Amino acid sequence: MNRLYVDGQAHPSLCGQTCKLCGRVAFPPNPYGCEKCGAPRSLLEECILRGEGRLEAFATTFHSNRKDRVVPYTVASIRLADGPVIRALMVQQTDEGLSVGQAVHAVMTLFEPEQIQTEPQIRFTTHGPN
Amino acid sequence: MAKTLRQLRPVYVVGIGLHKYQKLSDTPYVQLGLTAIHAALKDANIPFSAIESAYTGTALLGMAPSRVMLRHLGGSGIPIAHIENASASGSTAVRQAAIEVASGLSDLSLVVGMDKPGPIKFAHDSAGLTDLVGDYVSPFTHFALLAHHYMHRYGVSAEQVAAVAVKNYRNGARNPYAQRQEAYSLEAVMAGPAIAGTLTRLQCCPIGEGGAALILASQEAIARLGIDRSRAVQILSSTSRSEQIYAAGADPDTELTRETLALTCKEAGVSPDQLDIVEFHDGFSIEELLYVEALGVCAEGMGAQALARGDFDIGGKIAVNPSGGLLAMGHPIGPTGVGQICEITRQLRGEAGDRQHPNARLGLAHMVGIGSVCVAHILRRNG
Repeated sequence: MNRLYVDGQAHPSLCGQTCKLCGRVAFPPNPYGCEKCGAPRSLLEECILRGEGRLEAFATTFHSNRKDRVVPYTVASIRLADGPVIRALMVQQTDEGLSVGQAVHAVMTLFEPEQIQTEPQIRFTTHGPN
Repeated sequence: MAKTLRQLRPVYVVGIGLHKYQKLSDTPYVQLGLTAIHAALKDANIPFSAIESAYTGTALLGMAPSRVMLRHLGGSGIPIAHIENASASGSTAVRQAAIEVASGLSDLSLVVGMDKPGPIKFAHDSAGLTDLVGDYVSPFTHFALLAHHYMHRYGVSAEQVAAVAVKNYRNGARNPYAQRQEAYSLEAVMAGPAIAGTLTRLQCCPIGEGGAALILASQEAIARLGIDRSRAVQILSSTSRSEQIYAAGADPDTELTRETLALTCKEAGVSPDQLDIVEFHDGFSIEELLYVEALGVCAEGMGAQALARGDFDIGGKIAVNPSGGLLAMGHPIGPTGVGQICEITRQLRGEAGDRQHPNARLGLAHMVGIGSVCVAHILRRNG
């Protein structure tokens, strides 16, 4: 599977994909072919997208069909500064204090200790770099 | 040049049948399906031995469920096939049967949808693809995000979105086949529990079990078997599309719906404002607002106002989800798209009892399926 972000950064950049045939910039990347023009994998090139953008929409989820999932959590649609609109988890568990248009950036975080999370997870936040 | 359904032989719905949609029970799926099929055969007043092919819409039962069921109608040796197309499985089964009759390969085809809730395995999970959210985004989170985007863009409140559910429960309360047959006030819908974003439990469709069946016939079969022409409803169009790449940030379900509905109206030779009945995929309340606007029966961002005016009520400008839709009638997956055609046929025949929309002549059925796919049919009263 393609990597989604650059390892080892506190404020990670995302690994997107540029199609050399049609120019589409995509995230997440895929190992198969261009979803827009059908160009093969050999014509898809990794491109680094800044891990920053603005909130387009967000929703706090209060219910999960998975018993091991801690709720609530908040997912956002984010328009990246480099173009694509992506979906990502927010550091903030609820939407309190979030607003459409707000600037956000990616962080690596051990956010939910109750999940016995051992690996840092990429999430987005409105807070300044810390 | 490729042809549309309407350029082939005319296809008619001549029989409809349902097993009530309900919570998971001990009822075997065979019973759910057979109940619907027996009702459809009785409605058409034909024996099963007259049926020449069968298509089954199902997504959750596992491999090869049809003959286990159909053999109890007398093993007639007819060709059978199963259609899995996510939530649009039943709609796609309708489409395949309609194509078969229209092409002349069969004169009389059975469509049946049946399912029981169970563990759902998504092919996407083993596709070798990954993203940042994985299964943190269930359908309810996906549509909560679309709802937030819509509400912010057009200045629509959570209550205005929830009003969709109030209307659909009002309709479902008059539908004996609906899983949820209770009317709810706006306060009750908003009271929760909260599921995702502003969507409460009553703004999310129930996934239950059920059965739905149709008999599709050519003019030749109608004449040969002496089927009542006055109750036959013609399928004018059958249209299916899958998602493309849209502009960054565009809602793919709405864009896919927009292009599919425009195409099906064109194929049927019908303009959206001529439609009397629409059965939409209202898996979540917000969807109905997105789709009425995509259909073009009201302007972008004006769906909530039109709803509040009563435009989409039974007896209004266009009856939207008179069955109660997925929210009230329920969404047992395989049967859902087939059940929509049952409701539209009942409405166009004028046989919908106390939820009858007056003088219904044209109806549209619409389903989206995760993936995404979209299937639409337009039906017209005969005469």
